[in-house]
Amino acid sequence: MELGIIALATLASLGRVLALILLSIVSGWFLSYFAIKSRKFENIYISFVNIFESIPVIGFLPIVLVVFITGLGGTLGVEVAADFLVFDAIVWNIWIGQYQAFKTIPQPLIEVSENYNFGWWGKMKSLYIPFSYPRVSSDIFPSFADALFYIMISEVFSVGITSYKAFGIGTLIVQATSVGDLNSVYECLGVLAIGVVVITLAFGNFSKYAVAKYGLNTSTEIKRHVRYWRPHIRKWRAVGSPTFQFAQYTTKMRTGRENIQSAMTKVRTSRSFERTGKYIGTAIAWLFLVFIGYSSIQVMLSVPHSLWVSYFAQTPNLLYQMGIDYVRVLVVTVISFVFAVSLGYYLAVHRRVSIASLPIIQTISAFPAPAYFPLVFAATAPFLAHVIPFAETEIFVMILCFLGTFYYVFFGFWVGVRAIPVEFLELTQNYKIGFFTKMRRIIIPATFPYLVTGLSSTINSAWGGLAVAEYWPNIFGNQTLQVHTGMMKVISAGLVNGNIGLAAWTSLLFAVVVGVYSIVFTRNLMDLARKKYVIEEGIYAA
Amino acid sequence: MNTQTLNGSSETLGEVQLECKDLAYSYSASHVIFKDINIKTYTDELVAIVGPSGTGKSTLIRVLANLIPPTAGHVFLNGTEVKTPSSRISLVHQSIATFPWMTSLDNVKIVLRNKVKDDEATEIAKKMITLVGLQGHEDDYPKEMSGGMRQRIAIARALAASPTIMLMDEPFVHLDELTANTLRGDIYSILFNPENELKSVILVSHNLHEVVQLADRVYVMGGTPAQIINEIKIDLPRPRLEEEPVFYEYVKMLYNDLIPKESKG
Repeated sequence: MELGIIALATLASLGRVLALILLSIVSGWFLSYFAIKSRKFENIYISFVNIFESIPVIGFLPIVLVVFITGLGGTLGVEVAADFLVFDAIVWNIWIGQYQAFKTIPQPLIEVSENYNFGWWGKMKSLYIPFSYPRVSSDIFPSFADALFYIMISEVFSVGITSYKAFGIGTLIVQATSVGDLNSVYECLGVLAIGVVVITLAFGNFSKYAVAKYGLNTSTEIKRHVRYWRPHIRKWRAVGSPTFQFAQYTTKMRTGRENIQSAMTKVRTSRSFERTGKYIGTAIAWLFLVFIGYSSIQVMLSVPHSLWVSYFAQTPNLLYQMGIDYVRVLVVTVISFVFAVSLGYYLAVHRRVSIASLPIIQTISAFPAPAYFPLVFAATAPFLAHVIPFAETEIFVMILCFLGTFYYVFFGFWVGVRAIPVEFLELTQNYKIGFFTKMRRIIIPATFPYLVTGLSSTINSAWGGLAVAEYWPNIFGNQTLQVHTGMMKVISAGLVNGNIGLAAWTSLLFAVVVGVYSIVFTRNLMDLARKKYVIEEGIYAA
Repeated sequence: MNTQTLNGSSETLGEVQLECKDLAYSYSASHVIFKDINIKTYTDELVAIVGPSGTGKSTLIRVLANLIPPTAGHVFLNGTEVKTPSSRISLVHQSIATFPWMTSLDNVKIVLRNKVKDDEATEIAKKMITLVGLQGHEDDYPKEMSGGMRQRIAIARALAASPTIMLMDEPFVHLDELTANTLRGDIYSILFNPENELKSVILVSHNLHEVVQLADRVYVMGGTPAQIINEIKIDLPRPRLEEEPVFYEYVKMLYNDLIPKESKG
């Protein structure tokens, strides 16, 4: 494989990701503005984003295949399909981050913009957009990592005997691994690594700049009401100290002024509901909803009625397979949690070690695990098959899931420990509180909101890992990695075998369960974290 | 340096409890916060440390508690050098720090966990909560309490650890004036109640009225890097009333020590 082609493909993939990050940011500004100005829209928007964020990219594949591949067709169809899948990996995180940033703009700044009649664009340009920069700058890290994690899925997908490929480094890696061309795989990974490091460093610098220039100091009072505790809210706040400072002030809460601010927000909302922002926000929201609705109908119509009946009959079995996958997700989550609580705590309390090691962990996290995983598979499969033949596949699935997800809870916990006010850490030292008492009674409760957000992200991403690992044809040479039972395998295999209807039905079931799970479990857990375990509220400094 | 009083009186002080010798702390060779600090506290004595902002008073009491290691010098508790943090030297923070997910009782009991049996811990915690005047609030959460009540819980927690020395870093600064006054009125009797084992207290404060109201002796810090520039014995009977002229004399004496020399003329 020529190096020039590899470099070009890397640029294409990274360019695609960066362009879609930009699109997400720009569209998110309008949607977020509309969300904070309209209570009705806010309710719909946040629920919508919450559910869609929980569905891994592969859940959208049936829609993508029907609408873009068969609808648009040709190179354009494949490219738009790839773009849509990358967009799906990126957008939810950024949109919610911007919404939260807009909701936490300090009241005095809003009053200044009202007082001096900035106008809609003036407010956006001088207040809302600049204020969101620090949040955006930290949110682009996980978005970038998520987009790269799915690079193989989003650039290459097969339906039956037809394989669709968008030009990019993911496609080249898939091609090279499927024929066992190790040299080309190494070259692709090397060039991709350079690109990832360059972009990660650029994002890091942007983050420092954004926080230094647009961040408020930690004593600044903020509005309190945010309707949704975003799973991703702080997972990458660990990017560096300026970002960390930002995370700190976003978590500061001042209960005393809550009612006044709430009342003032109502007055402000009714008084300054700018039409321009409303129309743009509405247009984007409708566009998206219409697209999703249209795509779903297209998928339904493309499958004969008799097949739908057979899919319904398979539902109990599909739910059983989903249950098996939930067990896998649970195991990965527990491993990630133990890893986070041990190493995360060590790094949080050993600052020098963390300064040296965190950028490395961060870069590794951003590097897509599916890109190098075939090499891990090739190197270890014979050994594992010999040592534990009964669980070889499960081990690989767990490893890939772990590599793709551990950093959410890891960084979440790390930031959580760093955010514990120094007074509490001094108390544990002063009164010689034992390690396990300290962890159980203080550190874990104090980091609970961060752990919940981190674990929630880990769980969501673990599904993505399963989607990749449960059925991976030609992972290396002609070898196929596949589990015996698993819902994600049903979706992946359904797509590869041309059974789009089954894949779509399974995805729909999954989306419903994830949505219910998110509303019933995750939200309640986050509410509990927000109400009871906010360590900053333990500091009284009226 | 001689201890200064208004009337020049002197009396024999009790047994030395906490002593620091030639204590210094610096961020770097060129950024020395304080140096040559020599302080003693005696039995049943409340010692205050005052000084302009930036003299490192809060840092000093963290060094005394060994939460921050000193750059030079030594701290002794009853003649034994303090080399690690110890609950025998309890710190009460300026920012009132109570765990929001724990009740008052649990907030106090946390310092006793794994040290005494749970029943005993509950008993001690209840006793300390009663001592600070919050009986009946054992099951309340900090967010259900006022700032003054929360600071009382923090003090009860510090007392539950059976400290010999208590270090208080501007403990009333975040309270409203009325609450702070009430707590100031109660604090001396709480701290030196025979029910607890506390021997002496070091209070850091910017509030000179508070210092005169509470302290037996005052160390004044000043200069760059900061040093102890004066030691004043507050020779007033308790309760001390602000209305009395001699109270103001002491406030004025402290004030004169704190204002820069060039401003005095």
